[in-house]
Amino acid sequence: MEQMAAISPDSSHFVSAASLRVRLDWFNKLRWGAAGTLLAAVLLIGLLAGIPLPVVPLLTAAGVLAALNAIYVARNRRVPPTDIRAEIRLVKAQMTGDLILLTIILNLTGGVENPLLYVYVIHVIIAALLFKGREIFSIAWLAIGLFTAKVAGEYLGLLPHHHLLGASDLTHELPFILVTLASFWFVLLFSAYMGAVIMRHNRAIKDELVRRQRLLIEADRAKLEFYRYVAHEVKSPVATAQSAVEAALELGGDALPPQVDDLLTRAVGRLEQAASIVRNLADLTRSGLLAPENLRPVNVTALAAKVVDDFRELAARDGQTVELEAPAVPVVITTSESMLGKVVTNLLSNAVRYNREGGRVRLCLADQGDTIRITVADEGIGIEPDDRERIFDEFYRSPAAQAKSGLGTGLGLPIVRRFVTDLGGAVAVDSRPGEGAVFAVTLPRRPGGGAAREAT
Amino acid sequence: MADKTILVIDDDIDLVEIIRVTLENQGYRVIDAQNGERGLELARDQAPDLILLDVMMGTIDEGFQVAYQLRSDAGTRDIPILMLTAVGDQTGFAFDPGKDQDFLPVDEFLEKPVSPRRLVDLVRKHLPTSI
Repeated sequence: MEQMAAISPDSSHFVSAASLRVRLDWFNKLRWGAAGTLLAAVLLIGLLAGIPLPVVPLLTAAGVLAALNAIYVARNRRVPPTDIRAEIRLVKAQMTGDLILLTIILNLTGGVENPLLYVYVIHVIIAALLFKGREIFSIAWLAIGLFTAKVAGEYLGLLPHHHLLGASDLTHELPFILVTLASFWFVLLFSAYMGAVIMRHNRAIKDELVRRQRLLIEADRAKLEFYRYVAHEVKSPVATAQSAVEAALELGGDALPPQVDDLLTRAVGRLEQAASIVRNLADLTRSGLLAPENLRPVNVTALAAKVVDDFRELAARDGQTVELEAPAVPVVITTSESMLGKVVTNLLSNAVRYNREGGRVRLCLADQGDTIRITVADEGIGIEPDDRERIFDEFYRSPAAQAKSGLGTGLGLPIVRRFVTDLGGAVAVDSRPGEGAVFAVTLPRRPGGGAAREAT
Repeated sequence: MADKTILVIDDDIDLVEIIRVTLENQGYRVIDAQNGERGLELARDQAPDLILLDVMMGTIDEGFQVAYQLRSDAGTRDIPILMLTAVGDQTGFAFDPGKDQDFLPVDEFLEKPVSPRRLVDLVRKHLPTSI
């Protein structure tokens, strides 16, 4: 995001020399193509078809184009793209050279008689891709100036003329020249204008997208800030109330009237639910705060085995089984142990909670080289297609999930998604409603550079 | 057992009362302080047998400061300290009680919400039995 705010030279769409360089590399390839095509065309038309072309000058032109391109390529390999202004100056010089060469080649192949004169349009379009308004027109005017001067020079006999395909001499047909020049001027200026308009429009859309993206990120930060505040403020009162009710139950013991005991027990249950929401909110707001120093090598196999063990007893109450499938060699990645632990715990907790009685829960671990994959599969209620995105929204619980279990805060999966994203990975879900769900988490061996710090 | 005195240092008056009722019911004498300074004073003057210390009072780590001072004073050095912590605190993110316990001057952590039964169990576990 910070990069977008960097000052972009007024003459170009590009804000960084590196992004401009990507285009330049592409233009270098295009130039190799142009030199090759010219070479092939001269050999094919001039030598095989027997059409009288000034072969040597044309081959020289192709050679000069190729030599210049070789210099550009060598320069780009040697100089790293750091100074955008230097890059832009270079592009302008290259385009000027290209236009001059094109004019010379046209002059050698019939000039005004050659319909290939509209190759100039390609240069104007490229200019529109790279530059803003005035710069596009300067390229268009340069092309117009070169071509017009060439035609005028031939008309006035100042430049030699090479006939194309033995056509009758059109070089001195003033009406033909004027019509050709007029249409040439019009096409080039119109191309420049349209190019400028389209690119300006394009840029406005891009700026708007960036602006909205920024607003979304800010809104999300404000939301997390609010959650953090709520969690912090509510945590102590809830915990103290919970302790008070438990102490009352303990003190009263068997002397408590059954109704009072029942009411207090209900209160304990609901307070535990409130505490669970607060705990999850506090967890959720850890998202985006991951610091690189909290990353260390984590044995994912051992971590998964521990979480699976933690859930065995709970699952067994319902006749469920929990299995772990992992490669023989322990899977070790650099990550945040506490965040990954939370991710695996939340996925297994959901799998057990929404599974069918006697169903199976399988946690599979796979080493995929640069990434690892953790899948948690159950045989429970599953997730309707419409809900597969919404289950990652805070506090959303599908109707089926609510019917199956009164517990659940609607925060488990949002935490999973945010943590996995923080750790540089992705989470996907697949499900057949009524038959089960599979959650697949992919994590890199090490969260990439700054990506782990900011979710931007 | 009736002679054992427990000092509770916590700024949550309601929680102090809950702990007081629970522990007095078990026959302990409970004294309390609402801040670290007063807690240190009471610890020196009254020589309690055990201290319950809240990790976060005025500042994020006031409890730790108090614990370090208790440990550095010859008169209070040997009093067992149970530290009350809240799950999901910002502090909970900065340190991991399970791992860093060796470096901390307290005997055990007790997570809020304080369960009366667990509180009594831990107090019994850490009270010196030699007397």
